[in-house]
Amino acid sequence: MGELPRPDSPVTLPTYADNAAIANGLEPETGATLKVFNWTAYINRAVVRNFEKRYKCKVEITTFNTQEDALAKLNTGDLQFDVFVPTVDVLSSLVAAKQVRPLNHGYIPNIHQAWDFFQNPFYDQGWRYTVPYTIYTTGIAWRNDHVSGSPDQLENPWSFLWQEQYRGKVAILDDYRESIGLGLMYNGETDLNTPDVEKLTAAEQALLNLAKLTSVHIDNNDYTNIPSGQMWIHHAWSGDIAAAEYYMPKGVSVDTVSYWFPRNGRGPVNNDTMVVLAGGKCPVLAHLFLNYFLDVDNVIENISYNGYMQPIHGVTGPRLVKEKLLPPNLTTTVVLESDFPRGLRELQISASARQVWQQDWLNVSRGV
Amino acid sequence: MVLSAPARVRHRQHPPRARRRVLYAGLSVPAILWLAVFFLVPFYAVLSVAGGQIDGIRGTPIPEWNPLIWSRASYHAVFQEFSGTGAFLGPLVLRTVEYVGAASLLSLLIGYPAAYYVSRFATKRKGLLLGLLLAPFWVSYMMRMLAWIGLLQTDGYVNRILIDLHLTSHPVTWLGGKASTVVLGLVYGYVPYLILVLYAGLDRIDSSLLEAGRDLGLGRVRTFLFVTLPLSRQTIITGLLVTVLPMLGDYFTNVMLSGATNTSMVGNAIQGQLQSTTLQTQGAALSLLMLGVLAIPMLYYVVATNRASQAAA
Repeated sequence: MGELPRPDSPVTLPTYADNAAIANGLEPETGATLKVFNWTAYINRAVVRNFEKRYKCKVEITTFNTQEDALAKLNTGDLQFDVFVPTVDVLSSLVAAKQVRPLNHGYIPNIHQAWDFFQNPFYDQGWRYTVPYTIYTTGIAWRNDHVSGSPDQLENPWSFLWQEQYRGKVAILDDYRESIGLGLMYNGETDLNTPDVEKLTAAEQALLNLAKLTSVHIDNNDYTNIPSGQMWIHHAWSGDIAAAEYYMPKGVSVDTVSYWFPRNGRGPVNNDTMVVLAGGKCPVLAHLFLNYFLDVDNVIENISYNGYMQPIHGVTGPRLVKEKLLPPNLTTTVVLESDFPRGLRELQISASARQVWQQDWLNVSRGV
Repeated sequence: MVLSAPARVRHRQHPPRARRRVLYAGLSVPAILWLAVFFLVPFYAVLSVAGGQIDGIRGTPIPEWNPLIWSRASYHAVFQEFSGTGAFLGPLVLRTVEYVGAASLLSLLIGYPAAYYVSRFATKRKGLLLGLLLAPFWVSYMMRMLAWIGLLQTDGYVNRILIDLHLTSHPVTWLGGKASTVVLGLVYGYVPYLILVLYAGLDRIDSSLLEAGRDLGLGRVRTFLFVTLPLSRQTIITGLLVTVLPMLGDYFTNVMLSGATNTSMVGNAIQGQLQSTTLQTQGAALSLLMLGVLAIPMLYYVVATNRASQAAA
């Protein structure tokens, strides 16, 4: 594997003669079933149904909870999904294993609706394999009717989670990149791709202290656990909290939910992508599916369920608030184009570094 | 005529020994195939993963199918997790034993009287009560645990009742990493299996033995203590094995009802390793070590059953 993709070291992913893009001018597969492999609750079925009507096909969505689960399933080689929604840090591995198919740009004219940054991203120069899907920040969500103060009032805002008085009510994300990253940021580190064992051990120790202090809960249910009050402080993804309104119990206002992300933008900012898998049976429909989810009207409808923003011109915080897709008190979840150059990215790390990260995470999570 | 008819019957009932052997061997073929395909092959695959390497680029496990060159690195890594600098498995093992011990004891205290009542006193309602005992199996384990989440969550019925009865002023965080919730979850999940095994054993106890105890002057309690209980010892061991073994490897109950690191059990550690691509060889090794430990009570069970059979003969 070559150089690791970084903003200051862009990577053009290789193509292979035995894994070519589809030809131009092909008709979409008829009467077919497009198989999509996606995160849980991460796409608006209404938009998918419109796609089915337009292209006279069926779309079958299979979900996964963590990227690791998804990769383990894909690596069995027996599954024939057409579309997959990976994070950026696993792209090189997928390409090297020829699990993803190079894109034929002729089928995806809507790429021009995407922010300029994503028309030639550093992790996939020339967007050979990917189109952008969602964008998000990782911050802290809390129930302001149960928890006093805010991270901004603290010298170390990330220490907002380290509060013993909320024992049993504090949760972190079940994602080794995000949560070890949290430990690093708590310790003042900003390189969220470090292979430095000492820094990683210190991050592990910080999280073990958090576990001891708060009996920390580990889950990816920030979108339900904060609205329901099951958790009061949650390490959270912006898109999950943007959708909090749909999960509030009867009689509880969404105003009780707050979300914090560093004002200077020095927090995790990431995007997920959509790719066409090489083993799929409907490559033309798969291209059209990617194109469909780059159209601004479909994107707005997708956000109305999903909560996660997409990097498409015309999708802005004020518009989302105006169309009542985002409560005014949660505009802190809005991701701006300017967040990408200054934010902290979680990118591909070497296999040996990944082993250290995963071992540290296992030591913290105890497999929960 | 009287003598020859049974002779012909005997001749028809007992084919030559060689044919019988072939017949019996043939009957065992489906079970042998089943075991080979669904146990031995996967078991060998786990051994091969544990003895294999991690791909240096993709970080995924590469099984080593040749047993002569199996690596011991993953076993070494597991032992490091018991005693190395980042050791965390020791407390998990102790906690697992504590939780499973408490859950088994509670299950027995709940299950034995229930099974005893159905087998000895239910009479006409036995069918109905057996149906009720089987009722939990109509609902999947996951759905039963999800139902408990609904009951135990902050604004769930349990907290509402406790507050209405003024037993607490604030909702109890049942799902916030409480050992008691996990133990009760294990009991709830596995007690139906125990009751069924206990019922099957208690129902087979010859009632004339109990009557003999009574005739010899024992009261109800002493009959139970000196006749029923010793006669059901083997059943209790079987029932506990049926529930303890899956409890020891359980991870799902913990994930659903706690999700906190301070209640994590060995099953969770294995699950965590298997979900992390670069740690899957360690997960395979830990699974095998656990299998080795669990084989001890299984062997004890086989020996005890054989002894009991010989004593009965």
